[in-house]
Amino acid sequence: MWAVAACGTAALVAAAAAGVGTAVLVVLGFPVVACLILTGLILLKTAAAIETLCAALEKPDSAYHFGEGSTLLKPLYTALRRLLEIHREGQHRQRSQDSEMVVRLQLLERQKKDTEAIIYSIRDSVLVTDASDRIIMANAAAERLFGFTLDRDQARRLDEVIRHPDFVRLVGRSIQSRTSHVRQELTFGDPRQPKTYDCIVSCVEDEKNAACGIVAVLHDITREKEISQMKNDFVSHVSHELKTPLASINAYAEMLVDGEAQDAETMQRFCTVIQTQAQRLNRLIEDILNISRIESGLIKVDKETCSVAILAQNAVEMIRSYAMEKSITIKVPAAIIHDQVLADKDMLTQVVINLLSNAVKYTPAGGMVEVDVEVDEVDCCVRLTVGDTGVGIPSDDLPYVFDKFYRVEANKKQAKGTGLGLNLVKQIVETVHGGRVFVTSVPQQGSTFGFTLPLAAERVALNV
Amino acid sequence: MTDRKVLVVDDEIHIVQVVAIKLRNNGFEVVTAENGAEALELVRSQHPDLVITDYQMPVMTGVELIENLRSDAEFVELPVIMLTARGFAIEDDKKARLNVAACLSKPFSPREVLQCVQDVLQQVSA
Repeated sequence: MWAVAACGTAALVAAAAAGVGTAVLVVLGFPVVACLILTGLILLKTAAAIETLCAALEKPDSAYHFGEGSTLLKPLYTALRRLLEIHREGQHRQRSQDSEMVVRLQLLERQKKDTEAIIYSIRDSVLVTDASDRIIMANAAAERLFGFTLDRDQARRLDEVIRHPDFVRLVGRSIQSRTSHVRQELTFGDPRQPKTYDCIVSCVEDEKNAACGIVAVLHDITREKEISQMKNDFVSHVSHELKTPLASINAYAEMLVDGEAQDAETMQRFCTVIQTQAQRLNRLIEDILNISRIESGLIKVDKETCSVAILAQNAVEMIRSYAMEKSITIKVPAAIIHDQVLADKDMLTQVVINLLSNAVKYTPAGGMVEVDVEVDEVDCCVRLTVGDTGVGIPSDDLPYVFDKFYRVEANKKQAKGTGLGLNLVKQIVETVHGGRVFVTSVPQQGSTFGFTLPLAAERVALNV
Repeated sequence: MTDRKVLVVDDEIHIVQVVAIKLRNNGFEVVTAENGAEALELVRSQHPDLVITDYQMPVMTGVELIENLRSDAEFVELPVIMLTARGFAIEDDKKARLNVAACLSKPFSPREVLQCVQDVLQQVSA
Protein backbone atom coordinates (compact mmCIF):
# COMPACT_ATOMS: atom_id res chain seq x y z
CA MET A 1 0.00 0.00 0.00
CA TRP A 2 2.88 2.41 0.76
CA ALA A 3 4.23 1.82 -2.69
CA VAL A 4 1.02 3.25 -3.88
CA ALA A 5 1.49 6.34 -1.76
CA ALA A 6 5.14 6.80 -2.85
CA CYS A 7 4.33 7.00 -6.49
CA GLY A 8 1.15 8.97 -5.76
CA THR A 9 1.81 11.89 -8.10
CA ALA A 10 2.81 9.75 -11.08
CA ALA A 11 -0.15 7.50 -10.50
CA LEU A 12 -2.47 10.49 -10.27
CA VAL A 13 -1.31 11.78 -13.66
CA ALA A 14 -1.67 8.33 -15.22
CA ALA A 15 -5.01 7.74 -13.68
CA ALA A 16 -6.33 11.19 -14.68
CA ALA A 17 -6.79 9.92 -18.19
CA ALA A 18 -8.51 6.79 -16.90
CA GLY A 19 -10.92 8.65 -14.69
CA VAL A 20 -11.38 10.59 -11.53
CA GLY A 21 -12.56 7.50 -9.66
CA THR A 22 -9.28 5.67 -10.23
CA ALA A 23 -7.20 8.67 -9.21
CA VAL A 24 -9.04 9.06 -5.92
CA LEU A 25 -8.72 5.36 -5.34
CA VAL A 26 -4.96 5.44 -5.92
CA VAL A 27 -4.36 8.40 -3.62
CA LEU A 28 -6.66 7.60 -0.76
CA GLY A 29 -6.36 3.86 -0.65
CA PHE A 30 -8.75 1.35 -1.98
CA PRO A 31 -10.88 0.11 0.94
CA VAL A 32 -12.11 3.56 1.98
CA VAL A 33 -13.27 4.83 -1.35
CA ALA A 34 -14.26 1.57 -3.01
CA CYS A 35 -17.76 1.66 -1.64
CA LEU A 36 -18.16 5.36 -2.48
CA ILE A 37 -17.04 4.81 -6.03
CA LEU A 38 -19.17 1.77 -6.44
CA THR A 39 -22.22 3.68 -5.26
CA GLY A 40 -21.28 6.59 -7.50
CA LEU A 41 -20.88 4.31 -10.45
CA ILE A 42 -24.19 2.66 -9.81
CA LEU A 43 -25.83 6.06 -9.58
CA LEU A 44 -24.09 7.50 -12.55
CA LYS A 45 -24.05 4.29 -14.54
CA THR A 46 -20.88 5.50 -16.01
CA ALA A 47 -19.84 2.56 -18.09
CA ALA A 48 -16.56 4.11 -19.14
CA ALA A 49 -15.49 4.55 -15.48
CA ILE A 50 -16.36 0.98 -14.59
CA GLU A 51 -14.41 -0.23 -17.61
CA THR A 52 -11.41 1.82 -16.49
CA LEU A 53 -11.62 0.57 -12.96
CA CYS A 54 -11.86 -3.06 -14.02
CA ALA A 55 -8.93 -2.61 -16.39
CA ALA A 56 -6.87 -1.08 -13.58
CA LEU A 57 -7.67 -4.00 -11.26
CA GLU A 58 -6.79 -6.58 -13.88
CA LYS A 59 -3.48 -4.98 -14.78
CA PRO A 60 -0.67 -7.39 -13.66
CA ASP A 61 1.61 -4.57 -12.48
CA SER A 62 -1.18 -2.70 -10.83
CA ALA A 63 -0.46 -1.80 -7.27
CA TYR A 64 -3.82 -3.19 -6.26
CA HIS A 65 -3.64 -6.18 -8.52
CA PHE A 66 -5.17 -8.97 -6.59
CA GLY A 67 -2.51 -11.47 -6.28
CA GLU A 68 -2.03 -13.98 -3.51
CA GLY A 69 -4.11 -13.27 -0.42
CA SER A 70 -5.89 -10.22 -1.74
CA THR A 71 -9.14 -11.46 -0.37
CA LEU A 72 -10.58 -7.97 0.01
CA LEU A 73 -10.27 -6.95 -3.62
CA LYS A 74 -11.55 -10.05 -5.30
CA PRO A 75 -15.24 -9.79 -4.26
CA LEU A 76 -15.14 -6.12 -5.11
CA TYR A 77 -13.77 -6.87 -8.52
CA THR A 78 -16.43 -9.54 -9.04
CA ALA A 79 -19.10 -7.05 -8.02
CA LEU A 80 -17.73 -4.47 -10.43
CA ARG A 81 -17.62 -6.99 -13.24
CA ARG A 82 -21.22 -7.97 -12.54
CA LEU A 83 -22.20 -4.33 -12.48
CA LEU A 84 -20.51 -3.82 -15.79
CA GLU A 85 -22.29 -6.80 -17.32
CA ILE A 86 -25.65 -5.57 -16.06
CA HIS A 87 -24.87 -2.18 -17.42
CA ARG A 88 -23.81 -3.59 -20.77
CA GLU A 89 -26.94 -5.70 -21.01
CA GLY A 90 -29.07 -2.67 -20.21
CA GLN A 91 -27.19 -0.64 -22.71
CA HIS A 92 -27.65 -3.30 -25.36
CA ARG A 93 -31.37 -3.50 -24.63
CA GLN A 94 -31.65 0.28 -24.77
CA ARG A 95 -29.77 0.38 -28.04
CA SER A 96 -32.03 -2.20 -29.65
CA GLN A 97 -35.09 -0.37 -28.33
CA ASP A 98 -33.70 2.88 -29.64
CA SER A 99 -33.05 1.47 -33.08
CA GLU A 100 -36.52 -0.06 -33.15
CA MET A 101 -37.92 3.34 -32.23
CA VAL A 102 -35.87 5.02 -34.96
CA VAL A 103 -37.18 2.56 -37.55
CA ARG A 104 -40.74 3.17 -36.38
CA LEU A 105 -40.25 6.91 -36.48
CA GLN A 106 -38.80 6.68 -39.97
CA LEU A 107 -41.74 4.57 -41.04
CA LEU A 108 -44.21 7.05 -39.58
CA GLU A 109 -42.36 9.93 -41.18
CA ARG A 110 -42.45 8.09 -44.50
CA GLN A 111 -46.17 7.34 -44.17
CA LYS A 112 -46.83 10.96 -43.27
CA LYS A 113 -44.88 12.13 -46.29
CA ASP A 114 -46.69 9.65 -48.53
CA THR A 115 -50.07 10.85 -47.26
CA GLU A 116 -49.01 14.46 -47.67
CA ALA A 117 -47.74 13.75 -51.18
CA ILE A 118 -51.09 12.19 -52.05
CA ILE A 119 -53.04 15.12 -50.65
CA TYR A 120 -50.65 17.60 -52.26
CA SER A 121 -50.99 16.05 -55.67
CA ILE A 122 -54.82 16.07 -55.59
CA ARG A 123 -56.13 18.44 -58.24
CA ASP A 124 -58.90 19.57 -55.91
CA SER A 125 -58.07 22.08 -53.22
CA VAL A 126 -57.86 20.53 -49.76
CA LEU A 127 -57.71 22.59 -46.59
CA VAL A 128 -57.74 21.43 -42.96
CA THR A 129 -58.22 23.48 -39.80
CA ASP A 130 -57.96 22.57 -36.13
CA ALA A 131 -60.48 23.21 -33.34
CA SER A 132 -59.26 26.83 -33.06
CA ASP A 133 -59.95 27.50 -36.74
CA ARG A 134 -56.24 27.58 -37.54
CA ILE A 135 -55.13 26.23 -40.90
CA ILE A 136 -52.97 23.20 -40.24
CA MET A 137 -52.83 21.82 -43.74
CA ALA A 138 -53.44 23.13 -47.24
CA ASN A 139 -52.36 21.47 -50.45
CA ALA A 140 -50.78 23.29 -53.39
CA ALA A 141 -54.14 23.69 -55.17
CA ALA A 142 -55.67 25.29 -52.07
CA GLU A 143 -52.70 27.66 -51.67
CA ARG A 144 -53.06 28.70 -55.30
CA LEU A 145 -56.84 29.11 -55.08
CA PHE A 146 -56.82 31.17 -51.90
CA GLY A 147 -53.54 32.94 -52.68
CA PHE A 148 -51.54 32.20 -49.54
CA THR A 149 -48.60 30.12 -48.42
CA LEU A 150 -49.11 27.86 -45.45
CA ASP A 151 -46.79 28.71 -42.57
CA ARG A 152 -46.09 25.33 -41.04
CA ASP A 153 -44.47 26.75 -37.91
CA GLN A 154 -47.14 29.26 -37.11
CA ALA A 155 -50.66 28.16 -37.99
CA ARG A 156 -52.88 31.17 -38.64
CA ARG A 157 -56.61 31.51 -38.28
CA LEU A 158 -58.70 30.77 -41.38
CA ASP A 159 -60.44 34.17 -41.41
CA GLU A 160 -57.08 35.96 -41.18
CA VAL A 161 -55.67 34.18 -44.20
CA ILE A 162 -58.65 33.60 -46.46
CA ARG A 163 -60.28 36.63 -47.99
CA HIS A 164 -63.39 34.92 -49.25
CA PRO A 165 -66.29 35.76 -46.90
CA ASP A 166 -68.66 33.19 -48.42
CA PHE A 167 -66.17 30.38 -47.92
CA VAL A 168 -65.37 31.47 -44.35
CA ARG A 169 -69.13 31.56 -43.64
CA LEU A 170 -69.51 28.07 -45.10
CA VAL A 171 -66.80 26.76 -42.77
CA GLY A 172 -68.54 28.49 -39.84
CA ARG A 173 -71.80 26.84 -40.84
CA SER A 174 -70.10 23.44 -40.92
CA ILE A 175 -68.73 23.84 -37.41
CA GLN A 176 -71.98 25.16 -36.00
CA SER A 177 -74.29 22.67 -37.68
CA ARG A 178 -72.00 19.72 -36.85
CA THR A 179 -73.59 17.82 -39.74
CA SER A 180 -71.41 15.40 -41.65
CA HIS A 181 -70.88 17.99 -44.38
CA VAL A 182 -72.14 21.23 -45.87
CA ARG A 183 -71.96 21.96 -49.56
CA GLN A 184 -72.17 25.11 -51.67
CA GLU A 185 -71.16 26.29 -55.12
CA LEU A 186 -68.90 29.32 -54.81
CA THR A 187 -67.18 31.50 -57.37
CA PHE A 188 -63.52 32.47 -57.18
CA GLY A 189 -61.04 34.55 -59.11
CA ASP A 190 -61.43 37.35 -61.61
CA PRO A 191 -65.10 38.49 -61.58
CA ARG A 192 -64.95 38.89 -65.36
CA GLN A 193 -63.95 35.25 -65.73
CA PRO A 194 -65.13 33.65 -62.53
CA LYS A 195 -64.37 30.04 -61.73
CA THR A 196 -67.02 27.98 -60.01
CA TYR A 197 -66.10 25.49 -57.28
CA ASP A 198 -68.18 22.83 -55.61
CA CYS A 199 -67.14 23.30 -51.97
CA ILE A 200 -67.71 20.49 -49.48
CA VAL A 201 -66.80 21.21 -45.87
CA SER A 202 -66.82 18.24 -43.48
CA CYS A 203 -66.59 18.46 -39.73
CA VAL A 204 -63.76 16.38 -38.23
CA GLU A 205 -64.63 14.78 -34.88
CA ASP A 206 -62.28 13.26 -32.33
CA GLU A 207 -62.87 9.96 -30.48
CA LYS A 208 -65.13 11.77 -28.01
CA ASN A 209 -67.26 13.12 -30.90
CA ALA A 210 -66.08 16.65 -30.24
CA ALA A 211 -65.44 18.87 -33.25
CA CYS A 212 -61.70 19.15 -33.69
CA GLY A 213 -61.66 21.01 -36.99
CA ILE A 214 -62.86 20.83 -40.56
CA VAL A 215 -61.63 19.49 -43.85
CA ALA A 216 -62.68 21.43 -46.94
CA VAL A 217 -62.48 20.01 -50.46
CA LEU A 218 -63.04 22.40 -53.38
CA HIS A 219 -63.63 20.92 -56.81
CA ASP A 220 -63.44 23.11 -59.94
CA ILE A 221 -66.72 22.71 -61.82
CA THR A 222 -66.26 25.68 -64.17
CA ARG A 223 -66.08 23.48 -67.26
CA GLU A 224 -69.09 21.40 -66.22
CA LYS A 225 -71.04 24.61 -65.67
CA GLU A 226 -70.03 25.89 -69.09
CA ILE A 227 -71.08 22.63 -70.74
CA SER A 228 -74.35 22.69 -68.86
CA GLN A 229 -74.92 26.30 -69.95
CA MET A 230 -74.06 25.34 -73.53
CA LYS A 231 -76.55 22.49 -73.36
CA ASN A 232 -79.24 24.83 -72.05
CA ASP A 233 -78.47 27.35 -74.78
CA PHE A 234 -78.51 24.52 -77.29
CA VAL A 235 -81.91 23.30 -76.17
CA SER A 236 -83.19 26.87 -76.26
CA HIS A 237 -81.73 27.45 -79.75
CA VAL A 238 -82.85 24.14 -81.13
CA SER A 239 -86.36 24.43 -79.76
CA HIS A 240 -86.60 27.88 -81.34
CA GLU A 241 -85.29 26.48 -84.62
CA LEU A 242 -87.67 23.53 -84.49
CA LYS A 243 -90.64 25.73 -83.67
CA THR A 244 -90.16 28.03 -86.65
CA PRO A 245 -90.87 25.47 -89.42
CA LEU A 246 -93.40 23.78 -87.17
CA ALA A 247 -95.25 27.10 -86.81
CA SER A 248 -95.54 27.38 -90.61
CA ILE A 249 -96.72 23.79 -91.02
CA ASN A 250 -99.32 24.24 -88.30
CA ALA A 251 -100.57 27.61 -89.56
CA TYR A 252 -100.83 26.64 -93.23
CA ALA A 253 -102.55 23.35 -92.38
CA GLU A 254 -105.12 25.26 -90.34
CA MET A 255 -105.62 27.70 -93.22
CA LEU A 256 -106.36 24.77 -95.54
CA VAL A 257 -108.79 23.27 -93.04
CA ASP A 258 -110.53 26.65 -92.60
CA GLY A 259 -110.87 27.10 -96.37
CA GLU A 260 -108.71 30.23 -96.39
CA ALA A 261 -107.07 29.14 -99.66
CA GLN A 262 -109.59 30.63 -101.98
CA ASP A 263 -108.27 29.25 -105.27
CA ALA A 264 -106.35 26.22 -106.51
CA GLU A 265 -103.16 28.19 -106.92
CA THR A 266 -103.23 29.43 -103.32
CA MET A 267 -104.03 25.94 -102.10
CA GLN A 268 -101.02 24.65 -104.04
CA ARG A 269 -98.83 27.36 -102.48
CA PHE A 270 -99.98 26.46 -98.97
CA CYS A 271 -99.21 22.77 -99.56
CA THR A 272 -95.76 23.61 -100.91
CA VAL A 273 -94.98 25.66 -97.80
CA ILE A 274 -96.02 22.76 -95.57
CA GLN A 275 -93.81 20.42 -97.58
CA THR A 276 -90.69 22.62 -97.61
CA GLN A 277 -91.03 23.45 -93.92
CA ALA A 278 -91.36 19.76 -93.07
CA GLN A 279 -88.14 19.14 -95.02
CA ARG A 280 -86.42 21.97 -93.16
CA LEU A 281 -87.50 20.44 -89.88
CA ASN A 282 -86.13 17.10 -90.99
CA ARG A 283 -82.77 18.63 -92.02
CA LEU A 284 -82.38 20.18 -88.59
CA ILE A 285 -83.16 16.93 -86.82
CA GLU A 286 -80.73 15.10 -89.13
CA ASP A 287 -77.98 17.62 -88.28
CA ILE A 288 -78.45 17.04 -84.58
CA LEU A 289 -78.55 13.28 -84.98
CA ASN A 290 -75.54 13.19 -87.32
CA ILE A 291 -73.34 15.11 -84.91
CA SER A 292 -74.45 12.84 -82.13
CA ARG A 293 -73.80 9.72 -84.23
CA ILE A 294 -70.35 10.86 -85.37
CA GLU A 295 -69.38 11.77 -81.84
CA SER A 296 -70.47 8.43 -80.49
CA GLY A 297 -68.84 6.60 -83.43
CA LEU A 298 -72.15 5.01 -84.42
CA ILE A 299 -72.46 6.50 -87.90
CA LYS A 300 -72.29 4.17 -90.89
CA VAL A 301 -69.69 5.49 -93.31
CA ASP A 302 -69.83 4.33 -96.91
CA LYS A 303 -66.67 5.56 -98.63
CA GLU A 304 -66.13 5.45 -102.36
CA THR A 305 -63.90 7.26 -104.83
CA CYS A 306 -65.53 10.50 -105.94
CA SER A 307 -64.62 13.76 -107.64
CA VAL A 308 -64.76 16.77 -105.31
CA ALA A 309 -65.53 19.22 -108.16
CA ILE A 310 -68.50 17.17 -109.42
CA LEU A 311 -69.78 16.73 -105.90
CA ALA A 312 -69.50 20.51 -105.36
CA GLN A 313 -71.37 21.20 -108.62
CA ASN A 314 -74.24 18.97 -107.46
CA ALA A 315 -74.32 20.66 -104.06
CA VAL A 316 -74.54 24.10 -105.70
CA GLU A 317 -77.60 22.95 -107.66
CA MET A 318 -79.28 21.92 -104.42
CA ILE A 319 -78.77 25.34 -102.86
CA ARG A 320 -79.43 27.45 -105.96
CA SER A 321 -83.09 28.25 -105.26
CA TYR A 322 -82.19 29.53 -101.78
CA ALA A 323 -79.46 31.75 -103.28
CA MET A 324 -81.85 33.05 -105.94
CA GLU A 325 -84.32 34.16 -103.23
CA LYS A 326 -81.59 36.57 -102.08
CA SER A 327 -80.35 37.37 -105.59
CA ILE A 328 -76.96 35.90 -104.76
CA THR A 329 -74.81 34.58 -107.61
CA ILE A 330 -72.96 31.30 -107.04
CA LYS A 331 -69.86 30.69 -109.13
CA VAL A 332 -69.59 26.94 -109.77
CA PRO A 333 -66.23 25.17 -109.91
CA ALA A 334 -65.12 23.79 -113.26
CA ALA A 335 -64.72 20.03 -113.49
CA ILE A 336 -61.06 19.11 -113.08
CA ILE A 337 -59.20 15.86 -113.54
CA HIS A 338 -57.56 13.78 -110.83
CA ASP A 339 -59.47 15.33 -107.94
CA GLN A 340 -60.76 12.02 -106.58
CA VAL A 341 -60.97 11.45 -102.86
CA LEU A 342 -62.17 8.47 -100.88
CA ALA A 343 -65.30 9.78 -99.20
CA ASP A 344 -68.86 9.15 -98.14
CA LYS A 345 -70.68 11.04 -100.89
CA ASP A 346 -73.77 11.92 -98.86
CA MET A 347 -71.75 13.18 -95.94
CA LEU A 348 -69.37 15.22 -98.08
CA THR A 349 -72.34 16.69 -99.98
CA GLN A 350 -73.77 17.71 -96.63
CA VAL A 351 -70.46 19.47 -95.83
CA VAL A 352 -70.51 21.48 -99.08
CA ILE A 353 -74.20 22.34 -98.64
CA ASN A 354 -73.59 23.56 -95.10
CA LEU A 355 -70.70 25.78 -96.25
CA LEU A 356 -72.77 27.09 -99.18
CA SER A 357 -75.91 27.80 -97.16
CA ASN A 358 -73.82 29.64 -94.55
CA ALA A 359 -72.21 31.72 -97.29
CA VAL A 360 -75.63 32.62 -98.72
CA LYS A 361 -77.10 33.22 -95.25
CA TYR A 362 -74.42 35.72 -94.21
CA THR A 363 -74.09 37.50 -97.54
CA PRO A 364 -76.32 40.52 -98.20
CA ALA A 365 -78.73 40.35 -101.16
CA GLY A 366 -77.01 40.81 -104.51
CA GLY A 367 -73.72 39.37 -103.22
CA MET A 368 -71.53 36.66 -104.63
CA VAL A 369 -70.47 33.18 -103.49
CA GLU A 370 -67.58 31.45 -105.21
CA VAL A 371 -66.77 27.74 -104.99
CA ASP A 372 -63.30 26.64 -106.00
CA VAL A 373 -61.66 23.20 -106.14
CA GLU A 374 -57.96 22.60 -106.71
CA VAL A 375 -55.55 19.70 -106.46
CA ASP A 376 -52.39 20.12 -104.41
CA GLU A 377 -49.93 17.68 -105.99
CA VAL A 378 -47.25 18.40 -103.40
CA ASP A 379 -49.36 17.63 -100.34
CA CYS A 380 -51.41 15.00 -102.22
CA CYS A 381 -54.70 16.61 -101.27
CA VAL A 382 -57.75 18.29 -102.77
CA ARG A 383 -58.72 21.73 -101.50
CA LEU A 384 -62.27 23.09 -101.71
CA THR A 385 -63.05 26.68 -100.75
CA VAL A 386 -66.32 28.61 -100.49
CA GLY A 387 -65.73 32.34 -100.55
CA ASP A 388 -68.42 34.96 -99.99
CA THR A 389 -68.86 38.73 -100.02
CA GLY A 390 -70.72 38.60 -96.72
CA VAL A 391 -70.52 40.21 -93.29
CA GLY A 392 -67.26 38.49 -92.35
CA ILE A 393 -66.17 37.28 -88.92
CA PRO A 394 -64.19 39.24 -86.29
CA SER A 395 -60.70 37.73 -85.82
CA ASP A 396 -61.40 36.99 -82.13
CA ASP A 397 -64.22 34.67 -83.12
CA LEU A 398 -62.35 32.80 -85.87
CA PRO A 399 -60.73 30.10 -83.70
CA TYR A 400 -64.13 29.08 -82.33
CA VAL A 401 -66.44 29.08 -85.35
CA PHE A 402 -66.20 25.29 -85.75
CA ASP A 403 -67.08 24.69 -82.09
CA LYS A 404 -70.43 23.16 -81.34
CA PHE A 405 -73.14 25.70 -80.43
CA TYR A 406 -70.75 28.61 -81.05
CA ARG A 407 -72.33 31.55 -82.76
CA VAL A 408 -70.57 34.78 -83.68
CA GLU A 409 -72.16 37.37 -81.40
CA ALA A 410 -71.76 40.20 -83.92
CA ASN A 411 -73.56 38.19 -86.61
CA LYS A 412 -76.35 36.72 -84.49
CA LYS A 413 -78.79 39.32 -85.71
CA GLN A 414 -77.82 38.63 -89.29
CA ALA A 415 -79.35 35.20 -89.45
CA LYS A 416 -80.74 32.43 -87.32
CA GLY A 417 -78.80 29.27 -86.69
CA THR A 418 -78.25 26.48 -84.23
CA GLY A 419 -74.48 26.70 -84.07
CA LEU A 420 -74.36 23.12 -85.35
CA GLY A 421 -73.71 23.42 -89.09
CA LEU A 422 -69.99 24.16 -88.97
CA ASN A 423 -69.40 21.66 -86.21
CA LEU A 424 -70.95 19.02 -88.41
CA VAL A 425 -68.62 20.13 -91.26
CA LYS A 426 -65.60 19.74 -89.00
CA GLN A 427 -66.72 16.37 -87.67
CA ILE A 428 -67.34 14.96 -91.15
CA VAL A 429 -64.12 16.32 -92.68
CA GLU A 430 -61.76 15.65 -89.80
CA THR A 431 -63.19 12.80 -87.75
CA VAL A 432 -64.69 10.76 -90.59
CA HIS A 433 -62.36 11.58 -93.52
CA GLY A 434 -59.05 12.59 -91.93
CA GLY A 435 -59.00 16.00 -93.64
CA ARG A 436 -58.70 19.55 -92.27
CA VAL A 437 -61.12 22.47 -92.16
CA PHE A 438 -60.00 26.10 -92.29
CA VAL A 439 -61.38 29.62 -92.40
CA THR A 440 -60.14 33.10 -93.23
CA SER A 441 -62.22 36.24 -92.98
CA VAL A 442 -62.18 40.01 -93.22
CA PRO A 443 -65.08 41.72 -91.41
CA GLN A 444 -67.44 43.55 -93.78
CA GLN A 445 -65.67 42.04 -96.79
CA GLY A 446 -66.34 38.35 -96.61
CA SER A 447 -65.20 34.93 -95.44
CA THR A 448 -63.62 31.90 -97.05
CA PHE A 449 -64.38 28.52 -95.54
CA GLY A 450 -62.86 25.34 -96.88
CA PHE A 451 -61.31 21.94 -96.33
CA THR A 452 -58.57 19.70 -97.63
CA LEU A 453 -58.98 15.98 -98.09
CA PRO A 454 -56.28 13.44 -98.94
CA LEU A 455 -56.27 12.28 -102.58
CA ALA A 456 -57.65 8.78 -103.12
CA ALA A 457 -54.92 6.14 -102.73
CA GLU A 458 -54.81 5.02 -106.38
CA ARG A 459 -54.34 8.61 -107.48
CA VAL A 460 -51.43 9.03 -105.06
CA ALA A 461 -49.99 5.78 -106.39
CA LEU A 462 -50.19 7.16 -109.95
CA ASN A 463 -48.26 10.25 -108.92
CA VAL A 464 -45.49 8.09 -107.56
CA MET B 1 -114.04 46.98 -88.10
CA THR B 2 -113.26 47.01 -91.80
CA ASP B 3 -110.31 48.73 -93.34
CA ARG B 4 -108.29 48.64 -90.12
CA LYS B 5 -104.59 48.50 -90.99
CA VAL B 6 -102.28 45.91 -89.39
CA LEU B 7 -98.49 45.78 -89.72
CA VAL B 8 -97.07 42.22 -89.57
CA VAL B 9 -93.35 41.93 -88.75
CA ASP B 10 -91.39 38.65 -88.97
CA ASP B 11 -88.15 37.60 -90.64
CA GLU B 12 -89.79 34.32 -91.60
CA ILE B 13 -91.52 35.09 -94.89
CA HIS B 14 -94.03 32.20 -94.62
CA ILE B 15 -95.22 33.41 -91.22
CA VAL B 16 -95.72 36.96 -92.48
CA GLN B 17 -97.66 35.65 -95.47
CA VAL B 18 -99.96 33.32 -93.58
CA VAL B 19 -100.90 36.00 -91.02
CA ALA B 20 -101.37 38.55 -93.81
CA ILE B 21 -103.66 36.22 -95.81
CA LYS B 22 -105.74 35.37 -92.74
CA LEU B 23 -106.21 39.06 -91.88
CA ARG B 24 -106.86 40.16 -95.47
CA ASN B 25 -109.43 37.39 -95.90
CA ASN B 26 -111.17 38.84 -92.86
CA GLY B 27 -111.32 42.42 -93.99
CA PHE B 28 -108.07 43.94 -92.76
CA GLU B 29 -105.56 45.92 -94.71
CA VAL B 30 -102.09 44.48 -94.13
CA VAL B 31 -98.56 45.84 -94.53
CA THR B 32 -95.50 43.65 -93.85
CA ALA B 33 -91.88 44.07 -92.74
CA GLU B 34 -89.07 41.57 -92.13
CA ASN B 35 -87.29 43.30 -89.26
CA GLY B 36 -87.78 45.96 -86.60
CA ALA B 37 -86.01 48.75 -88.49
CA GLU B 38 -88.15 48.25 -91.57
CA ALA B 39 -91.24 48.10 -89.36
CA LEU B 40 -90.37 51.38 -87.64
CA GLU B 41 -90.28 53.16 -90.99
CA LEU B 42 -93.60 51.62 -92.03
CA VAL B 43 -95.26 52.64 -88.75
CA ARG B 44 -94.23 56.23 -89.42
CA SER B 45 -95.28 56.23 -93.06
CA GLN B 46 -98.33 53.93 -92.99
CA HIS B 47 -99.80 54.64 -89.53
CA PRO B 48 -101.16 51.13 -88.85
CA ASP B 49 -103.85 50.59 -86.19
CA LEU B 50 -102.01 47.60 -84.74
CA VAL B 51 -98.61 45.86 -84.99
CA ILE B 52 -97.97 42.10 -84.79
CA THR B 53 -94.26 41.40 -84.28
CA ASP B 54 -91.85 38.51 -83.80
CA TYR B 55 -89.17 38.83 -81.10
CA GLN B 56 -85.94 37.46 -82.54
CA MET B 57 -85.19 39.19 -85.82
CA PRO B 58 -82.04 40.41 -87.53
CA VAL B 59 -81.11 44.11 -87.60
CA MET B 60 -83.68 45.12 -84.94
CA THR B 61 -85.53 42.78 -82.58
CA GLY B 62 -89.22 43.01 -81.75
CA VAL B 63 -88.49 44.37 -78.28
CA GLU B 64 -86.17 47.04 -79.70
CA LEU B 65 -88.95 47.97 -82.15
CA ILE B 66 -91.48 48.39 -79.32
CA GLU B 67 -88.98 50.38 -77.22
CA ASN B 68 -88.52 52.71 -80.17
CA LEU B 69 -92.26 53.07 -80.64
CA ARG B 70 -92.85 53.83 -76.95
CA SER B 71 -90.19 56.54 -76.97
CA ASP B 72 -92.17 58.37 -79.62
CA ALA B 73 -95.19 60.24 -78.17
CA GLU B 74 -97.21 59.53 -81.28
CA PHE B 75 -96.95 55.76 -80.89
CA VAL B 76 -97.05 55.35 -77.10
CA GLU B 77 -100.52 53.86 -77.29
CA LEU B 78 -100.17 51.94 -80.59
CA PRO B 79 -101.40 48.39 -79.81
CA VAL B 80 -98.73 45.70 -80.25
CA ILE B 81 -99.15 41.89 -80.24
CA MET B 82 -96.04 39.74 -79.91
CA LEU B 83 -95.86 36.47 -81.82
CA THR B 84 -92.78 34.56 -80.73
CA ALA B 85 -91.22 31.11 -80.67
CA ARG B 86 -89.39 31.91 -77.47
CA GLY B 87 -90.53 29.60 -74.76
CA PHE B 88 -90.47 32.32 -72.13
CA ALA B 89 -91.64 35.12 -74.48
CA ILE B 90 -91.01 38.26 -72.41
CA GLU B 91 -91.22 38.79 -68.70
CA ASP B 92 -94.47 40.17 -67.33
CA ASP B 93 -92.92 43.38 -66.03
CA LYS B 94 -91.33 44.05 -69.42
CA LYS B 95 -94.62 43.28 -71.12
CA ALA B 96 -96.37 45.81 -68.89
CA ARG B 97 -93.61 48.40 -69.27
CA LEU B 98 -93.67 48.10 -73.05
CA ASN B 99 -97.47 48.12 -73.03
CA VAL B 100 -97.72 44.89 -75.04
CA ALA B 101 -101.38 44.05 -75.58
CA ALA B 102 -100.90 40.28 -75.95
CA CYS B 103 -98.26 37.59 -76.40
CA LEU B 104 -98.92 34.62 -78.66
CA SER B 105 -96.47 31.75 -78.94
CA LYS B 106 -95.37 29.82 -82.00
CA PRO B 107 -96.55 27.39 -83.26
CA PHE B 108 -99.71 29.49 -83.45
CA SER B 109 -103.20 29.27 -84.84
CA PRO B 110 -104.06 31.93 -87.48
CA ARG B 111 -107.60 31.75 -86.10
CA GLU B 112 -106.35 32.80 -82.67
CA VAL B 113 -104.25 35.58 -84.14
CA LEU B 114 -107.31 36.95 -85.94
CA GLN B 115 -109.39 36.71 -82.75
CA CYS B 116 -106.67 38.42 -80.74
CA VAL B 117 -106.36 41.27 -83.27
CA GLN B 118 -110.13 41.79 -83.20
CA ASP B 119 -110.23 41.75 -79.39
CA VAL B 120 -107.38 44.19 -78.98
CA LEU B 121 -108.79 46.64 -81.49
CA GLN B 122 -112.21 46.42 -79.85
CA GLN B 123 -110.67 47.24 -76.45
CA VAL B 124 -108.87 50.22 -77.93
CA SER B 125 -111.97 51.64 -79.60
CA ALA B 126 -114.18 50.93 -76.57
